[in-house]
Order: sequence, then C-alpha cells, then structure tokens
Amino acid sequence: MGKALIIDDEPQMRRLLRMVLESRGYEVCEADEGLRGLQEAAFHRPDVVLLDLGLPGMGGIETLARLREWSDVPVLVLSVRDQETVKVQALETGADDYVTKPFGSAELLARLEVIQRRRGPRHTPEITAGALKLDLLRHEADLDGEPLRLTPTEFSILSILTEHAGRIVTQNQIVKHVWPVQQSDPAEGLRVHISHLRRKLGDRGVRVVNEPGIGYRLEIRQASAP
Amino acid sequence: MNPPTQPNHPSPAPPSPEGQLGVGIAVLFVLASACWGVLPYTGHMFAALVFLLALVLAGTRWNRGPVLTMAVIGALVWNFLFIPPQFTFHIEKPADGVMFALFFVVALGMGHLITRLRAREAALEQHHLERERLLAEKHRAELSAEAERLHRTLLDSVSHELKTPITIIRTALEGIGTGNPYAAEIDTASRRLQRIVENLLEITRVEADAVKPTPDWCEVSDVLEAAVAPFQRELAPFHTVIAGADALPLLKLDGRLVAQALSNILHNATLHAPHGSVIDIRARLNDRVLEIDIRDHGPGIPEDAVPHLFEKFYRAEGSPTGGTGLGLAISRGLMRAMQGDITAANHPHGGAIFTLTLPVRVHPD
Repeated sequence: MGKALIIDDEPQMRRLLRMVLESRGYEVCEADEGLRGLQEAAFHRPDVVLLDLGLPGMGGIETLARLREWSDVPVLVLSVRDQETVKVQALETGADDYVTKPFGSAELLARLEVIQRRRGPRHTPEITAGALKLDLLRHEADLDGEPLRLTPTEFSILSILTEHAGRIVTQNQIVKHVWPVQQSDPAEGLRVHISHLRRKLGDRGVRVVNEPGIGYRLEIRQASAP
Repeated sequence: MNPPTQPNHPSPAPPSPEGQLGVGIAVLFVLASACWGVLPYTGHMFAALVFLLALVLAGTRWNRGPVLTMAVIGALVWNFLFIPPQFTFHIEKPADGVMFALFFVVALGMGHLITRLRAREAALEQHHLERERLLAEKHRAELSAEAERLHRTLLDSVSHELKTPITIIRTALEGIGTGNPYAAEIDTASRRLQRIVENLLEITRVEADAVKPTPDWCEVSDVLEAAVAPFQRELAPFHTVIAGADALPLLKLDGRLVAQALSNILHNATLHAPHGSVIDIRARLNDRVLEIDIRDHGPGIPEDAVPHLFEKFYRAEGSPTGGTGLGLAISRGLMRAMQGDITAANHPHGGAIFTLTLPVRVHPD
C-alpha cells in the first residue's frame, strides 16, 4: 500500500493512526513535531503524509510550507472544527485535502486513497472521473456519453474540479485557475457559474459539493445507474 | 486664525478685548503719571522704555487688537506729555522725531510678533493634545486586540485539549466496531460528550463576540445541506423534507454560521419529535430577508417555556435528556451576530416551528 508518515504531537493519536493505517497495509513512520517530520520525510520518502495542523513549535502550516519546498508528496491535513481559515491556508500552502477531528477511520482511509491517486505528468488531453469525460484539447465534456453544453468558464471550472475529483479545491484556487487575471469580485462570479454548472450536471452521478467557508469538491457516485 | 486660547495658563487676563483695552489704557495712564513724577531725574526717553515694557507684558497675554491700540495710545501719550515741547504733538528736535517713529515701529512690531508667537504656541499645544489623544486611542486598540488574541489562543488550546481525547476515543471505538453492546454505549456517550464540548466552546465564542461573520455569495441549498450533513445519524429515524431552497437566487451570507445555527435547531427537533415524524425545512425570501422555518411534529413548546427558550442552560420541563441547554442559545447568538434573529412558536396544527430570519443581499442574476 505504500509508506505513510504521521506528524502529530499526541502519542496516542499517532498510535491509533498507526493501527488504522497498518490494518490497511501501510508501512508507517512517525514524528512528534514539524522539524523531525521534515527529517523523516527526507529520510523515508513516504508516499503520503498525515499532518496535524495543531503542532507545537513550528506549526503545521510552516511544516507544510517547508515540506513543499522540495517535495510534492500527497499531504492530508488533520484539523479540528472551526478552523476554516487555517484549513484554507493549509490547502493553499499545498495540502491535498483535510479531515476534521473527530474523524472516522473509513473517511480517513478514503481521503488518503483519493489524494494518492493523482497528478503525475499527463500524457493525454482527456481526464475522466466516473461517468464524466473532459477533452481539454477540444474543450468538450460529456457525461454518461451525452455531451454537456458548457460555457468556456464553466468548462474551466469543471476541468479543475475533475482534475482533483474527490478532493477539495478552495474557492481561491478555482478563481486563479479560471481567471488568472483578477476580476473585481471573482468569488461572486464563481458562485453564479457554479450554480449554472450544477444545473447542467443535474443528478447524474457527478455532483459539485460546497464546503462552506472552504471550497468545492467534485463528488463521484461510484456505481452509476445502469 | 483661531483666537488663541490658553487652557493651561490660569491667566488673569480680562476675558473680552474691550476689557483688556480698558485695563491697558488705565495702566498706561498710571505709568505716565509715575514717569511724569520722575521726569526731572530720568529724561523723557525713560517713559518710552517703560511704555514698551508694558506693551511687551500685555502682548504676552492679551489679544492683538488691544495691544496694538495700546501701542498707538502709548506713542501719542509719550509724544504729548514727554517729548519737548510738552503738551503738543509737535516734535521739535529731529532726533526726537526719529525716536518717536522708532517707538511706533518697535511697539507695533513687538505686538505683532508676540501675538503670532502665542498663536503658534497654542497651535502646538493643540497638536500635542491631539497627538496624545491618538496615542491613547492606539494604545487602547492594541490592548483590546491583545485581549482578543489571548482569548482566542486560550479558546483554541482548550478546544484542542478537549477535542483530542474525544477524537482518540471515537477513532479507537471504530477499531473495535459497535457490534459489542458495551462499545455501542461508549459510542453514544462519546457522541454526547463531543456535542457538549462543542456547545460549550461555541457559546463561549458567541458570548465573547468572537464570532465574525464573513458573508459570501451562497446557494441556500448548500447551506441547508451543510446543516443536515452532521446529523445524518440523528435524522435517520425522521422524514426530513427540504423545500424552497432551489428556487432562491444567490444570497450573500455566511453559510457556515447559518448552517451551524440551523443544525442546533434540527438537533433540538430530533430530541423532541417522535421517530417516524416529519421534520420540515422550508426556505423563502421575503423582501431581502431570508426566512428559514424548521417545523417538527412533536409535542410543541410548553407555553411558559416560550419566553425562556433561547436562554443559556434553560431546559423546558420534561425535556428529554441528551440536550445541553445551549444549542438554542448558540443559534440565537449566531443569528444575532449576523444581524438576524430567531423565533419559536407552536404551529396551529401541532408541533414546534422555529423561524430564522436574516437580512441578506440578493444577487441580481
């Protein structure tokens, strides 16, 4: 399954996470603070990192920023509720997704899987997620074999969400992708386009889910109706 | 130019320029008499110097008008009484004529310079006071920011300390699975504990005015979904009906806070309404006010409880266990932090109905 690095200052939390991860076949290494976490990451080259945002000393965000200077290992952030701004900050510093404490182990493992299934160099202009297929070359999208009539903006939004299918994308990240040159209040325009996009996607196994205060996630219902 | 005021000098100066002039003229005549008395010993130049001295003193505290007038009167008096030939305005020697002209120039120039100096001084004083006031204000702002930061740090660390063990218990329980009846009890208790902790932290935040709404354009259906999502398990035994949200335009509001306010009401409904009943969530826009009704089909609210429902730790008689007595108070606190409100009533056809109201901006699209 690969190597996972846990960076958390609570020994009990680390033990539990280790149990959960090992039961899934991960090889686990741990660190109790940021600097050691960075050393472990350099030494063990993990396939995925679980990072607690509430680290003492060099905080979670700083650790993440320094990790991102030289590594693009997928990072899942562990946070508590009511930390929306910190979560957004973490995501924009390069975290791939987050779970909120207290979290279920099923949710944790699912998120870990999604953030590892990804990126790398793309060799085709096509991206797919469930029943959704996007052709980035021709700017065409189809869902369940049926073409979607999207405006260029809607296509652009859908493409960044599809590329990160199952993962959270912050509002800011979408805005930067869609309008590299800042508009007056792009967030406002974004909301309008997303509401149109949702109407076009309808209820066909692909949903744009909003996480208030953070951003959007493209959710794929696995078993699409036959 | 402002009339120079001198708040810090307990000046005995007569308040009005006319008063000053009166006193000034009196002083000049007294001085003139005195100089007249000693004229044989001092010569007529002495009087001029005495007059100049009086003018300098007057200039340090009086207004410009009276001082300049005094200068003119002084010059004339000196000329009339002291410069030979006496008792005429005629001046015999050219040297005395020059002296007289110099007296005029010096007296007028002095009066002018001194009053300007005083105006400058007063402005400086004003500037200084203003600066002091700004500094004090800045200091106060810094203090309150510091207090707020401290409060938040405290809240965050308490929050972290309380939530970590709960997370550990809940994660560990998942490892065991809830097949074991003892584990199922721990599971229920830990959920309740989590709820209590979250409510306590939230009410602290609400009461400390630490809730800062950040409104953004939202689809109301997203907000309702976010409100329902954390209670899937509690809502499972009910029929939850959500209506009206899809027809609404984009609204500018803090979706997270509204969802949180709503979910406390929902949780309250799950505690009071019988399993299998319908919980209605209905959103509508009423002239730039978003209204969301949550109606349950439970026993309704006892009449005497209605006015106290939103008070902290208030629990209506016969309330089922599982509530903290904080949920509704938090909801109201959150709504009010957004300039909205919340009301509760009994529906004419049975059950309780809570209405959240929130003034919003409506997207023109």
